[in-house]
Parts: sequence; C-alpha cells; structure tokens
Amino acid sequence: MSVLPLAEPQPAEHAARRRAAASEGAKPDLKALPTVQRRQKGLIVGVLMLLITALAAVLATNIYVANSQYDVVQMTNEHRDLVHQNQALSQQVQFLESPQSLSNSAVSLGMVMPAPAGTIDLSTGDIVSGAEVASSSEVPSSFVSAPSSLQPELSAGDVAEHAETSASGLLGTGALHTLSQPSAGENSPGTATGGTSPGTDLHGGTIPAPKLTD
Amino acid sequence: MARTLSLRMRIGLAIVLALLVVLGGRLFHIQGLDPAGHAHQAISNRLHTVEVPAARGDIIDTQGRLLAGSADRYDIVADPRLTGDYTVPDEELGMQRPVTVEETAEELATLVESDAEDVLERLTAEDTHYSTIARNVTPEVHQRIMELRAPGVYAEPVSERTYPSGPVAGSIIGFVGVDGPLEGLEAEENEALTGEPGERIYEVGADGVRIPTATYEEIPAEDGQDLRLTIDQDIQWFAQEAIAEKTSEYNAQWGNATVVDLREGREGEILAMADSETVDPSDPAATDELFRRPLALTQDFEPGSGGKSVTFAAALEEGVVEPESEFSVPYRMTVDGESIRNARSHAEYDMTAAGIYARSYNTGTLMIGNRMEEQTRYDYLRQVGYGEPMDIGLGVEGQSILRPPEEWDRRQPLTTQFGQGYTGSVLHNVQLYQMLAQDGVKHPLRIVDAHVDPDGEEHLVTSEPERIFSSNTSQEMLKLMEGVVDYGSAMGAQIDGYRVGGKSGTAEAAGAAGGFDGYTVNFIGVAPLDDPQFVVSITVHRPAGQFGDWDLTNTFRDIMTHALTSYDVPPSEEESGAYDGFVGERQDYPW
Repeated sequence: MSVLPLAEPQPAEHAARRRAAASEGAKPDLKALPTVQRRQKGLIVGVLMLLITALAAVLATNIYVANSQYDVVQMTNEHRDLVHQNQALSQQVQFLESPQSLSNSAVSLGMVMPAPAGTIDLSTGDIVSGAEVASSSEVPSSFVSAPSSLQPELSAGDVAEHAETSASGLLGTGALHTLSQPSAGENSPGTATGGTSPGTDLHGGTIPAPKLTD
Repeated sequence: MARTLSLRMRIGLAIVLALLVVLGGRLFHIQGLDPAGHAHQAISNRLHTVEVPAARGDIIDTQGRLLAGSADRYDIVADPRLTGDYTVPDEELGMQRPVTVEETAEELATLVESDAEDVLERLTAEDTHYSTIARNVTPEVHQRIMELRAPGVYAEPVSERTYPSGPVAGSIIGFVGVDGPLEGLEAEENEALTGEPGERIYEVGADGVRIPTATYEEIPAEDGQDLRLTIDQDIQWFAQEAIAEKTSEYNAQWGNATVVDLREGREGEILAMADSETVDPSDPAATDELFRRPLALTQDFEPGSGGKSVTFAAALEEGVVEPESEFSVPYRMTVDGESIRNARSHAEYDMTAAGIYARSYNTGTLMIGNRMEEQTRYDYLRQVGYGEPMDIGLGVEGQSILRPPEEWDRRQPLTTQFGQGYTGSVLHNVQLYQMLAQDGVKHPLRIVDAHVDPDGEEHLVTSEPERIFSSNTSQEMLKLMEGVVDYGSAMGAQIDGYRVGGKSGTAEAAGAAGGFDGYTVNFIGVAPLDDPQFVVSITVHRPAGQFGDWDLTNTFRDIMTHALTSYDVPPSEEESGAYDGFVGERQDYPW
C-alpha cells in the first residue's frame, strides 16, 4: 500500500481543472454537480428495495423457523405425555391381564374351577370320558399375590373409560405399539428441551419457555 | 492546500496504518490461528451431546405375554447449593408469592410419599451438590414436581423395569437393583437385553432451543434383544397356586412343581418351574432369601424311590431283567451284612419286576440291581445326569453329589440303588424322566427359547439331543410307570381318559447338624403314555407329619390335567399296558 492511491479518489477531470485554476491564481471555480439521472435514481431505489425485501425475507424465515422449533418442542412434549399416558394405560392392561388378576376377576364374577371335560371319539361316536358338573365350592386359590408395584395408576385414567370412549381398535396393540415407540424427534425426553408440558405457566406469552434441564 | 500530503498527515497515516496492521494481525491470530481455542470453545458451548438410551429388551413367555418390560420413570434429585426460598407468580393474587424451603419440602414429601423432614434434610444437606429425593417416580408425579418450579430440584429420566405379573415366574426372571441386574435371567442375559446406547449431537442457542440450521448428528441406539422363554405364564401361575396350596396343606418348608414339554420340536422346554413361594421382582426384599432363586436348581436332595428308575432302566438296558421276571420279595433282607427293609411290613410275595417297581420295594430293587456291577450302576447314574451340575442357562447351576464307587461307604452300594446316598436337584430328576419318556433320548432342559432382535429376527436356542437308553428300554419303563399309577404307590395320579405313568419317592432329608431330620417327598409323572406330551414333577421338602401321611398325586393330577387341556391333547386311545405286579391270578395282595 502506498500514499499515492489515496490521493486518487477525486475524479481526474475535476482535479485537473482544480490544478489549472490554482496555477492561474484565480478564485475557486464553484460549479453545481450534475444531478443524478432519473434512471440511476430508480436503480438505487430498486437496490434498496431488494435489500429490504431480502432482509425481511430472512427475518421472516428466521422467525418462522424459530417458531416451528417451539412448535416442535411443544409437540414433542405432547407426544411424550401421550407416550407416558399410554404406558400407564398399557400397564393397567397388563396388570388386569396377569393370571392372578384374571383369576380374582373370575372369582368375583362367581366363576369356579372347571370340572373334567367330556370327550367323544368322533370316528366311533363313543363317549371316551363323561363331562362332570363343576362344583360351586371349587373356587381357585389365591396364594400368588398380585404384582406389588403395579397397582393401576388412577391418575392416568381408567383404561376401561378409554376403551369405552375410543373408536374401536384405538386401544388395540397397533395403537399401543405406535404410541409406545420412542420419539424420532430431536427433542425427545431427556434432551435439552424437555420438561415443559401443556399447562405450564406461559408468563403471559403463547410459547412455553424451554428449559435446559429436564 | 498543498498538492502532496503534509508531513503531519503522513505521520498520522503511518500510525493509523501501523495500528491497522496490528489489528489485522491480531484478527488473523484469533480468527485464523485461534491458539486459545475460542471458536472451539464457542462451538462446544453450543454443542450438546445427549446419550440416546437403548431400550432394555423385554422378557416374554412362550406365547408372547409380557413378563418383564420397561417404563419411563424419573429420579428426583436436588442440588442443595441451589435450593432455598423462592417466589412463584400467583395468578389469584397477580403477584409473586414467596415459598420457603420448608414448604417446598412438605409439598415434595406429599408428592413422593415420604417424610417431610427427611426431604428437607436432603434439600438442605451440606457438603454435597447431589442428593436423591426419590427414585423411580411416575411421569405424573414428575410433572407435578416440575410445576412447583423449585430451584435446585431436578429430574433425571431413568428406565424402570416393570413386572406385570408380579411373582409369577419371579425367581426365573430375576430382578434388577439400583446398580444393575442382580438375579435370574435379568442378570444372566444382561448383555443381550442391554443393547448399545446411541448419541445425539446438536447445537443449542442461548434460549435453550436447538439451532435448526446447525450441526445435527444422530447415532441411533441399538435396542436390546427381547428374550422369549419356554415358560408358559398361565401354566406357571397354575403350578404356583397348586404347589403353594400343597405346601401350605402339609406346612412344608418349600415345594416345587415343574412342567416340561415333550411335544415334538419342543422337547426339554421347561413350561413351568413353580415354587411354593416366589419373589416379586418389583420388591425382592419382601421375600425370604430362599425363594429369590429357583428352588428347582438351588436345592439338592436325595431322590428317594424316584431313583429306582435308574436301577430298573439300567437293568432292562443291560438285559439282566425283564419286566415280568419273577422274584420272591421279602419285607427285610441282609446283603453284605447290611440290613435293608421296605417301608411297610409285609409277607413275602412272589412278584414281577414290574410289581416291585409299582410297589417300590427296596428289597426287590436290590435283587435286580445286584445283578449289575457297582461300576455299571454308577455309570448309568452319571449318564442320566447325576453327579454333574445342571445348567439350563439361568446362571444358577443345579448341584448333584454322587461319589464314585471306590469312595462309597458300606451301605452306599445298596442305598444308591433306591435313590439314597446321592443327591440331585428337581431338574436332575425331571431330566431322567424326560429321557425315559422320550425314547431314551436326553434333550437337555432349557428355559430360553429365543433371543429376538429389535427387527424381529429370532435366534433360537438349541441343544444337542443324546441317546442314553434304547427305545425298547424307554417303552418298558413307561409300562412300569403305568403300573405305579394303575395299582401301585400313586393311584391318585390317574386322569380320566389318559394313560398316566409316574413314580413316587420319599427320602430322608439331611439336617444342618448332620443326620436326617425330615423328608423330601416327590412324584414325577408322564402323560399320555401312548405319546408322552408332558412331564410334571412335584416335590415337597420337610412336610409336617409322619412318613406315609403325604400324597402329592392330586397336585400332579391338577397340573397335568391343566396342561393337557390347555394344549388340547386328545385322550389316549389305547388301553393300559401295565404288567401284572404279582405272579399268578391274584393281584390284590395287601400293602
């Protein structure tokens, strides 16, 4: 870098004229600059508009992306809550399906142990063994206790209510499977943005404040 | 104005330029070379690496019913350096409401169902920045705790094992402690169940939300394999109920009922291994230590008369006896100076070998067994599995003590012929009847059916069958066992429509102080004999009462009937194949 190029910026023509005037020792020759042409004006406005539009677009995109991110957070939380609710409900189902619970339910419905079943030989038509009447005193024993830690979680609602109100098949294994799958999103439980849930204080806003710790 | 720059201007310009060069150099130093690693530090501040936990595999029964699964839970922990009084916005008052740490402790205690003072102590503990307030709280409770928004109170997501059927098959499944699996299949198959955790790397902005356009990497977790057992949850439960009832009836120390599948393609699969009392894996501490591991493996005892089956099968195999060979059987006899007698006094009978087996006479058994060398009998005992540990892939080996003939005392050459003088676990005994029922071929007992990958691919656990007895010996043994049920010592085991065979046994139980101070009673049966489908073994240890008071056949009958009807086994078409027990027409001699 040298000093000289710094002296250059003035238009060469203008500088020459100034040099001429100086040599003549006359008064500075003041002259109005030529006005910017209309076409150039339009170009500048256009460029400015373009810049502003681009800026606005970038801003809008940014806001949109940020907002979507919050939506993702919210939906992930909703998904997680549903997964948890579903887990609680399927635990109730499993609890009710356990042999002890089935036996207890059967007893409360007045059922008793089956008597030997009768068998008929279809090829000969002979009665191989005769069926007997089940005795009303043959109530199944209950030595095996119900699972200790798995009492139905009432907070999640009763699975029977859900079964009644849901469309048929909603509580089928398919639905259970879909809901119990781990979330594919990047904000699944345990990651940076977990911890908020519907019903959290929004501090007057519409977007829940994200939390770093769960 | 001079045409060239003044000296002052030049000096000023030079200084500015020099400063520019310095700044440029510094910029290059920081931005280009970055010796202090600022850029790296900035990225690592934004960069979050989160472990993606691998889901622990489920344990399911042979029908796919869930025996052990996992559920999301939270550990509630506190950093006592950050806890204290705080304020929360109160909507009703429209202002901030102060909350003291004591109030926080009380609310937490109500939510996690513990003592408020204890929680307060944990919240205000000194010299620590980590104290656990509660473990494994449900998502519901976790949410309510987070709504308190108490400072310094955090939740750590954890996965808790759930056992929907509680104590059904509890000792087989095992359990998991705070630091990892402790017992049963949870411990033995831990590696397969665990899987590989993955990783998720992303950048987080100052507001805590992921920067959508920045780095994002995900290494997916490899979930653990599911474990499919050979256990049938329904039969397991039924057997647990039945054996608990029997054990309670006789006020015994413990009881065990084991059901083994003999159906084609499933030979040797354990359908049920039920103990009179079983640990609930969710709460292992509530159960006596004896019942936290499967009794069918942990307990070894003298097989008693059940062991006569080895003597009879060996004699048939060696050709030293036929089922209808005749013997004159006394109540008492003396061999090599040792006096041996039967359980009950009786007149001398002319009996067949089948009759001796059916009535379980020790004297008659000796007459047959003594036709073989000691070493031969010992070799057969070893071949059927006694003297070897029993491993079914559960991490607990069943023990069996059998000394070689040269170490036998004076009575052992005799007592080992009728199931005394050596010990075995329930599964040792069951394995013997499995091979006797299945054409003389030993199919090693097992409890894990398959490992199932997360994508559903199955890796079946197989075992090598091994022939021990000839097909003929096996057929004859089944007929001998049928005699036991038809007219012998276990007539209560008869099931209407099915041909049933089995062998009962009673042996004295060795006490802790040496000598014998109780009994171990067992019955092992097979049905239907025309095409054996199941082996059911019932064992009761130290029942109260006197010798001869106990009868396990009704428990056997209940469990066997349940198994036969559950698996739609058709009734037998053939008539009984049992041999006569006594020589001549008359068969109803008194016991």
